[in-house]
Amino acid sequence: MSIIGPFRRIPAIAGLAVAQLRYHRFRTLLAVVGIVLAMLTMTLLAGTGLGVLETGESQFESADRDLWVTSGPVALSAATGGFENTLYDAHVVSDEMNEIDGVRTAVPLGFQTVYISEDGEEFDTIVATGTTGTGSAVSISEGDGFSGGDTHYAGGEYDGPMTHEVLIDPQLADRYDLSVGDTVYMGGTTRSAEQNEFTVVGISGTFSQFLGTPTATLRLSELQTITGSSGVDSATFITITLEDDADPEAVQAELQAAYPEYEVRTNAEQLNAVLQHQSLVLAGAVTLVVLAFIAGLALTANLLAMVVYQQREALAAINAIGVSRATIIGLLAGHGLAIGILGGAIGAALTPPAARALNFVAAEITGFEGLVVVQTDVILAGVAIAIAMGTLSASVAAWRVSRLSAMESL
Amino acid sequence: MTDDPPLVSCINVSKVYSLASNGRLSRRSDAPTVTALDSVSVEVQPGETIALSGPSGSGKSTLLHLIAGLETPTSGTVSFDGTDLASLSGRRRTRHRLNNVGIVFQHFHLLDALSARGNVALPLVERGIRKRERRERATEVLEAVGLGDRLTHTPDQLSGGEQQRVAIARALVTNPRLVIADEPTGELDTETGAQVLERFQAAAEETAIVLASHDPNTLAVADRVVSLRDGQRVAESGPDRDRHTIDPAGAHSGTPGEIDG
Repeated sequence: MSIIGPFRRIPAIAGLAVAQLRYHRFRTLLAVVGIVLAMLTMTLLAGTGLGVLETGESQFESADRDLWVTSGPVALSAATGGFENTLYDAHVVSDEMNEIDGVRTAVPLGFQTVYISEDGEEFDTIVATGTTGTGSAVSISEGDGFSGGDTHYAGGEYDGPMTHEVLIDPQLADRYDLSVGDTVYMGGTTRSAEQNEFTVVGISGTFSQFLGTPTATLRLSELQTITGSSGVDSATFITITLEDDADPEAVQAELQAAYPEYEVRTNAEQLNAVLQHQSLVLAGAVTLVVLAFIAGLALTANLLAMVVYQQREALAAINAIGVSRATIIGLLAGHGLAIGILGGAIGAALTPPAARALNFVAAEITGFEGLVVVQTDVILAGVAIAIAMGTLSASVAAWRVSRLSAMESL
Repeated sequence: MTDDPPLVSCINVSKVYSLASNGRLSRRSDAPTVTALDSVSVEVQPGETIALSGPSGSGKSTLLHLIAGLETPTSGTVSFDGTDLASLSGRRRTRHRLNNVGIVFQHFHLLDALSARGNVALPLVERGIRKRERRERATEVLEAVGLGDRLTHTPDQLSGGEQQRVAIARALVTNPRLVIADEPTGELDTETGAQVLERFQAAAEETAIVLASHDPNTLAVADRVVSLRDGQRVAESGPDRDRHTIDPAGAHSGTPGEIDG
């Protein structure tokens, strides 16, 4: 045999592998489908994770705040419909922070689930945002916005007159057919809502874009009163916008030194803090990715092991007539590789449309657009993993071949 | 027998298997054992056809496997052209089979996804022979066994007799010096079996053949018939077709056609 003989075997073995895959079309199809599903699961989960990060970053950036002040862990809350309100004496603290050099505005933000109705009879729940004023950080597409200061707060007594003004986002306006000047009923309970009629003074999508859900925006003190949280003056954040010439790091350090009991974070730090608190969700996503990989691996390994079992006599026979185990293992590796490449290619082709479909569903449910971000790197990694699945599965089959006994098989 | 050096020489060959409780082979040293062959000696001359006869479990297949180099004896020596096969590594014994031995199985054992020509060409792939040459050689051998018009048919498109002729062509495509055939007509009806044997003999004219069979018609094509029983060689009949009893305890006599099984 010439030196190039062994290399000449490679295309022949590849041809044999392809012939067998074509002959056993249904089995091949099942294995490819398994790998495609595993790959789609992995790429879409990874794309969702990336999308959540990107969306979170853009939401924090679009909020046009420089620093975020929180107290305790920053956690999502089903009760409030947004973040937990763990920062107390929010008005006092934000007023103090307004006095610090470099701070243009320090605005407390609170999120709370409230009942809402257009007629005072049938109520829905939505997330309401409480803030101390509109200012430049809240963009208003229709109406004039809040008419004046926070009269109800009254220096912390909460006995001033309520303005009963509310900003609603475009989705709420569509849902209840509301426009500027119309009234809605809102409260922390249905009884409270029946007694509190608010006038729509503007349409604003600022906080609904930030939260990803339809939102009404009230003055913080009025939100606290209708939800019964005025006693502790609670809020989720105090958001800080800096003067143009201020040094963010210096102001952050000064605020942190002045308020060691609070966490003062930049946009990126704040996003990380929120995500880190969702470790269970993140662990669940990672587990799903791992399970998807194992499921794809198990399906393909099972298929190739079946191929070996069903053809054990033929494989033992061709080994008996002088075909080396290396060639037979190469044949099975060719199966695994071909299935992996095919599954990876189809998975890569299906990932973008699947992401678009998922984005459509996500937008309908959460209100966030483009939540699943498909990056080329993620798809390439998915293809690599698909090929690895095929190859690892072939290794299992090859291991079985290596244990075939001619005496028992023939 | 001739005075030429034998192509294959089995001297006092024994084979003992260890069995697991499920009846499969075991590698455990304390597993119960069964003696498949007990001190059997056989020589095969170049170009000679020898038939192994005997009932099921007599050791025919085990002796074929040892002669082919698929397994090594527990004791005794199996030599091919003077080389003790047990002295070769598993890889070299595989190479030895590729270069020197063709094997025909009772159940054909063809790869179902490959055409007749693809199956026959398989050993040539292992030899690293060019595709065109593989196809030419496989076609040539398939034509020699009468399957020139079935080159592209897959096994499920072929009859049993045709499949066995493909298996014979696969065994002969490397021009082996020895062909081993285990019940080559066992899956075929009498007429088809006769046709296959005729093709086999014609195609393997100058090749030594060792075949195992129960079938009197198959045994009849052999130059010598070696009878086995319970792992022991009990009789041999020569070219004159007369039975020579070796072990009176075996109580076998008569023509090959009357041999048990």
